[in-house]
Amino acid sequence: MRGFTISDVLTMLAAVQWTATLVVLALAFGAPLALLLARMCTGRSRLARLLATGILQLVQGVPVLGLLMFFYFGMPVFLGIKVPALVSVGAAFTIFTAAFLGEIWRGGIQAVHVAQGEAAACLGLTRWQTFRHVIAPQAFRIALPATVGFLVQLIKNTSLASVVGFVELARAGQLASAATFQPLLSYACVAAIYFALCFPLTLWSRSLEDKLNGAR
Amino acid sequence: MALVEIRNVHKSFGEVEVLRGIDLAVEKGEIVTIIGRSGSGKSTLLRCINGLEQINGGEILVAGERVHSRSTDLRKLREHVGIVFQQFNLFPHMTVARNITLAPVLTGRVAKGDAARELALKVLAQVGLEEKIDAYPGQLSGGQQQRVAIARCLAMSPYLMLFDEVTSALDPELVGEVLKVMEDLATQGMTMILVTHEMNFARNVASKLVFMHAGMVHEEGRPADLFANPATPELANFISSVR
Amino acid sequence: MLQLNFNQLWRYQDEFLHGMSLTLLLTLVATLAGLAIGLAGAAAAGSRFAALRLFVRSYVEVIRNTPALIQLFLIFFVLPYAGLRLPPVYAAAAALSIYMGAYASEIIRGGLASIPRSQIEAGQCLGLTRWQVFRHVILPPALRNIYPSITSQIVLLLLGTSLASQVSAPELFHAAAFVESRTFRSFEVYAVVCAIYFTLVLAFRLAFAGIGRIAFRWPTGR
Repeated sequence: MRGFTISDVLTMLAAVQWTATLVVLALAFGAPLALLLARMCTGRSRLARLLATGILQLVQGVPVLGLLMFFYFGMPVFLGIKVPALVSVGAAFTIFTAAFLGEIWRGGIQAVHVAQGEAAACLGLTRWQTFRHVIAPQAFRIALPATVGFLVQLIKNTSLASVVGFVELARAGQLASAATFQPLLSYACVAAIYFALCFPLTLWSRSLEDKLNGAR
Repeated sequence: MALVEIRNVHKSFGEVEVLRGIDLAVEKGEIVTIIGRSGSGKSTLLRCINGLEQINGGEILVAGERVHSRSTDLRKLREHVGIVFQQFNLFPHMTVARNITLAPVLTGRVAKGDAARELALKVLAQVGLEEKIDAYPGQLSGGQQQRVAIARCLAMSPYLMLFDEVTSALDPELVGEVLKVMEDLATQGMTMILVTHEMNFARNVASKLVFMHAGMVHEEGRPADLFANPATPELANFISSVR
Repeated sequence: MLQLNFNQLWRYQDEFLHGMSLTLLLTLVATLAGLAIGLAGAAAAGSRFAALRLFVRSYVEVIRNTPALIQLFLIFFVLPYAGLRLPPVYAAAAALSIYMGAYASEIIRGGLASIPRSQIEAGQCLGLTRWQVFRHVILPPALRNIYPSITSQIVLLLLGTSLASQVSAPELFHAAAFVESRTFRSFEVYAVVCAIYFTLVLAFRLAFAGIGRIAFRWPTGR
């Protein structure tokens, strides 16, 4: 047993890079998937709509912990090889991001008035051009506050990766707590770091929302 | 003593003085129309009369009671002073019947059940909407909603009714039905103060016309006289601009 | 080689059922407590006392900007040092209630604020008391505005109860860990548990939609 020192704090701060890695991975792979799902949900093909809606509902209907376990234990089963925790955990948060961002962006696309699409079609734009130049920019503006808000959810949820032993910020807190027998200091420190990461994003999301409401 | 006495009333919103010393008396049974450009303080004056707005100077007496005195029970006063708003302000989650009987039932002037429904039917008959008694506001046209709002006031048997630009939010073809109801009320002897842009109503129905300008009563008198011979260029300009 | 075997899991029906009942109980308790906290929080947010407003504001922001898992650990591992040793289930219920309360405060505050001033004035002008205006004019439409957000928050809470497994409260997710330790069919166990959660979520959503349709029948718009 040893005391809780500044080096414990530094270890936690260093672990933030793994929290950040998870967030970046989830966004890098999840965001394109989310866009695809959102497009499928608002597209013309009935089958695609059904499929995408089903995926959104399914992922949003299970706990993030369940999603993590599913990939952590499932990937070796399905792929037949052991994969590093970073891969399975990253995959779980990718799917999580795809579903929740997909839902937010679907809402954004649907909030853009139908007449806008019709007007664009009348100008002779193709369906992709219409989406790219008319729908997407407006939908992006509408969905931006919620998108930033989702970032906060994502950061907070990466703490669950600690459950499968992935050493990120929350896990670093657990380790410090176990080593120093100072749970109050350890977890308060972890909470403070999460707060420092999330609160600015929350404020940003709120100001974006106010701006959006003011503009309408 | 007049039913409504307004004496040297001043009212500011922040730096802006909206009412700059208003004097006006309204006798029982009078129909007073307040006209003037937007921003002249008409609606504010109306809202002061039933205590929706505080005043910064002067006093308003309704039936001898000082509206803005601490000892006045505004709630009691408002049971007798009805107001109809530009945006109807019906309660969207209540049927027409419940909108009308909510206050009479809660303030104990009518029993719940059959008696309340009878009251609703009676006032709805006055505005010609008995068949809508079980509809929700969202199912009615603007004109119908405004007539229900008038019926809701009538259910409190007020001795004074205030109308705040009640036809301004309506489609032109729906204005007539609301004005008709107000004319009926006028002939029945209701004391009414209206802020309106309906010059025909002001000319033909009102017993007194008040022209407000820059937060003051600029001219007042019999509508026929004022319309025929405006004493000030401001009123003359106003009349020609709305004609 | 892909080899799935769900057969062994049938023997553990009771474990899953017990876990599920605690999951539902935790959801119920945290929903009720969270709504109570939320009501108080929304009321305090409109209070005359700046200190009270600041306290509620900080509570809401701290809870919403830190992971629920860490909140749970703080309550579970730290309170014993203050002489309060809570059994896991109670600690989980407390943490989830505090968590739900923060979100409910925001939702309820927003719902009440969404009622236009003119509606309140209309109520006042009919001679209603402050309480009557709140009860009859503000509350029903506010509830309707609040309902979609609060019910999706309850669904998120249902999923969030799985965190309680991390302090060994024997709810559904903890039951899964137990069955896993007995059968070593890790993937199958968690697949089944996910399916159970999904079924519960579906049932909740259907029930909420049904209740909403019955409770809020007046037409909107215009």
